[in-house]
Amino acid sequence: MRHPRTLTRRHALGVAAGALAAPVVARAAAPVTLTYSDWHLAEPVWGRSLAEAFARFESENPDVKIRPEPVAYGQRDVRYATAFRGGRGPDVFALDSNPVKQFIREGWLLDLTPFLEKEGGAAAWASQFYEPTIKVVGEKGGVFGAPQTYVPIVLFYNKPMLESVGVANAPGTWEAFRDAAKRLTGPSKPGGPVDRWGTTMVLGQGGFDLRFPVVLRGFGGDILSPDYTRSRLDEPAAREAFGYVVGLINDDKVMPPGVLQVDANAARQFLATRRIGMAFEAAWAYPITAEMNKDLDAWNTLQVAPVPMKQAGANHIRTTLNMKSLHINPKTPNAEAAWRLVRFLTDRQRAEKWYLDNNLLSPRRAINAEFPRIQESASARLMTQELDHAAFMPLIPQWPEINETFRQSLHAAVTRTKTPDQALADAHRQVETILQRKT
Amino acid sequence: MRPSSGEDAPGADRRERWLPFLFVGPAILLLLAVLGLPAVTAVLQSFNLVWVREPGFSLDAYRQLATDPQFATTLSTTALYVGLVVSLHLTIGLAVALALNADLPAKWLFRVAAILPWTVPDVISGIIWRFVFDTLPGMANAILLRLGAVDQPVDWLGSPSLAFFGVVTAEVWRGYPFVMLILLAGLQAIPAHLYEAAAIDGAGAWQSFRYVTLPALRNMVIVALVLDVIWEARLFGTVYGMTGGGPGDATQLVSTLTFRQYFEFFNPAYASAMAVVLAVTMLIVAIPYLRVTMSRNA
Amino acid sequence: MTRPRRPFVALILGLMLLYNLAPFYWVVSSSLKPPLEVIDFPATLWPRQATVEAYAKIWQQEGFPVYFLNSLITSSGTALISSLVGVFAAYGFSRFAFRGKLALMAILLTSQMLPGVLLVGPYFELLSRAGLYDTRLGLVLALSTITLPFSVWMLKGYIDTIPPEIDQAAMLDGASRLQVLTKVILPNVMPGLVATVTFAFLLAWGDVLWALCLIQDQARQPMTLGVLKMFGQFRVEWAQIMAATLVATAIPSCLYVLLQRYLVQGFAGSAIKD
Repeated sequence: MRHPRTLTRRHALGVAAGALAAPVVARAAAPVTLTYSDWHLAEPVWGRSLAEAFARFESENPDVKIRPEPVAYGQRDVRYATAFRGGRGPDVFALDSNPVKQFIREGWLLDLTPFLEKEGGAAAWASQFYEPTIKVVGEKGGVFGAPQTYVPIVLFYNKPMLESVGVANAPGTWEAFRDAAKRLTGPSKPGGPVDRWGTTMVLGQGGFDLRFPVVLRGFGGDILSPDYTRSRLDEPAAREAFGYVVGLINDDKVMPPGVLQVDANAARQFLATRRIGMAFEAAWAYPITAEMNKDLDAWNTLQVAPVPMKQAGANHIRTTLNMKSLHINPKTPNAEAAWRLVRFLTDRQRAEKWYLDNNLLSPRRAINAEFPRIQESASARLMTQELDHAAFMPLIPQWPEINETFRQSLHAAVTRTKTPDQALADAHRQVETILQRKT
Repeated sequence: MRPSSGEDAPGADRRERWLPFLFVGPAILLLLAVLGLPAVTAVLQSFNLVWVREPGFSLDAYRQLATDPQFATTLSTTALYVGLVVSLHLTIGLAVALALNADLPAKWLFRVAAILPWTVPDVISGIIWRFVFDTLPGMANAILLRLGAVDQPVDWLGSPSLAFFGVVTAEVWRGYPFVMLILLAGLQAIPAHLYEAAAIDGAGAWQSFRYVTLPALRNMVIVALVLDVIWEARLFGTVYGMTGGGPGDATQLVSTLTFRQYFEFFNPAYASAMAVVLAVTMLIVAIPYLRVTMSRNA
Repeated sequence: MTRPRRPFVALILGLMLLYNLAPFYWVVSSSLKPPLEVIDFPATLWPRQATVEAYAKIWQQEGFPVYFLNSLITSSGTALISSLVGVFAAYGFSRFAFRGKLALMAILLTSQMLPGVLLVGPYFELLSRAGLYDTRLGLVLALSTITLPFSVWMLKGYIDTIPPEIDQAAMLDGASRLQVLTKVILPNVMPGLVATVTFAFLLAWGDVLWALCLIQDQARQPMTLGVLKMFGQFRVEWAQIMAATLVATAIPSCLYVLLQRYLVQGFAGSAIKD
């Protein structure tokens, strides 16, 4: 009886020692897994492009495995916010500019300065980027993310469709835009129901904030003052723009019915299937519409032009900017590996890949200036020029609520629940209240 | 209902005294921990006391509620919605229950078809109806255009009144089979001799419905009514999946607005105040039900 | 048996079939259309060329096997806990008179009235402090407690119909209370138990609010969240969404079709009936 017991004890000791040693051995051998979350993972063109980049990264970094976690764009901020408040969330994730300031305030983004200091200093790194882009991720002397891609919203139009109704050039003013839209609207079969329209606006959830305000800005107005302290919705330009859009929808009827539910995706589907001839979109619309409908021949059929203005040739801000940036969760146990991934996904080779695959520009000045393929493309040149006439939407924590308030007022005007002036006045008052509320 | 017995039998000893708590204990503990604690916390949150940005007793949330036009609209939308949905559930539920209670060939097939919508999760039902009412590729407009009833597509979810009608249609569809099921159970329990007696007295179909069926169903109807009001008032998924509360605030319910304030705009105190108002209203509505059930089971 | 007139029955049943089944028809028809036809205007009522591409896509690319399994685990867990705890409580309430019984029954009934949106925020904060945010356990506990009052009530109604003399007789033969419950009571309340299990399962399967607020990781998300996620900014593939809604509904529908006899009996025999 004694003999086996001793044996057992010795055996147990051996197992315990093995168990203690195991994690050390395992850490050296087994790769760390990084979760990477991005709304683009769910988009076919971007999804392929990202998968290729991950494969490359994993072959260069055999100690890291990536687990992609797609998130729906419209639900993204709420999903992330809930996860971070619950102490979870992906290791590395992408945001566009809207919620970045809110996330910094809540402490949900890791300051990248320590990593940058090891690689030539944060200031030198930051100086490679266009100034507005680096401002989005910078706060209180820290750098809370790495800008990845950057594009303005422009007017996309179907050139053959416009020519077929006698419009030779892209409309440069809002009056010309209305006229072109009216000509495009009508039945495709004589006597049939109207099934072609001039344009659409994104008035549903998911993409409103980026696209609708170009009308406001094209008229010379804006939602907030440049320092984001007061509402500009009481200005004549805002009233004019608001009335103009409501008129396009309700009186001119140049948009497909159901416009209040149209999100960015539905607008692109309309464009891809030739239901509409014009839409406000960003450069990514090329690969996406090309993939949606091969018959469209998007790269040749669709052309881009600056957002129309009230007077042609005016020199004010007329459009909005979109930026995608990559961020690290402060709670990640693998911050170093996460930083390697972020650096890889924003390096020069990848920046060129994002342009080639997805038609998006880099926020690094040098790449746009030096990459021949960007220099050769007329549409890319226009995008670069438009950067001078573009600004981000307000970079403040209250922005999501302000945006939603504004959107709902527009709905009230379109559904005739209120007159456009009433709806706008209510929106102005509510936005002021939100701005004054201490948060 | 039989009186519970055995508890005061002469042999009942000390063990028998704590025995009942062993049986009901786990359920009560779960209820207190998972429902009770959060409910109390929500009340504290609404007074700005715990888990808010700057804790300290305040009635601000309730004051803000009292003057918030959006909340007032949402409250009346919710009341109208619950009233409409529940009365349609009862009407349609009763009609279908009566039809299903008749002698039918292939009865189980009708019964399956009748109950099918109830098995669809609420958010999924919202998504399905959203596509039925979609302006361009939706079914409703496809049929109306084919029949020539309209010559341009109807913007179902883009008009406040039509969107409200759409949400009601969806929730009536999903919810009435359950009410029907309860009423069918009630119908089947009505003894046949009552109808025979009524027939002998010369009662027609309407009279036997009016004087035999309805009185016999009275209690079932009350229970179904109260349960349904409670379920509909706290419903979240249908609207969340179908309209997200839009257009504007036309289909916004207290439940979706609360979710939005809590999880989208990070205003826990305000959100909790809304939810407390909803809960208190529901408790008041449910008092008759509580009274009836408790007295019957005491 | 009521005797409503034939034409009335036919009319009601006809309208019922139309209303109940039309949306299902649209789901099936749309799910079989290719991506461009499904957004065509005016819509075709049946696909020009039916394809099961959408089903293949959601099953292979969109992670639906995982969502499906998650829903199955969560719903079964909920049904199990809710019925198990419920059967004990129902027996306790049915067979004993004890101090505070009325108060406890009042708690049970009142907790049914609390709206989910009141509870889910604070419950989320509690879970994250307990380290249970984004776990199946946290979700299952919430869902089984929500269904608990119903389970207790329905089962209590059933047990009340069994004469307590049967308990006494079994106990005189030497059975313990637990044995009475498992050997004597349970076999007699099977329809009620089936109804309870099904009800809890269906409720958990259909939940979206709690999962939305308590589950983050894709590996643990249920069907409802999986379907919702398809409304991204990038592609709203209606054929795939419709296919997904059908898959999400299949299990609860089959469950119902299989168990519908029990369910009707269950409701008829429960405390819902007076």
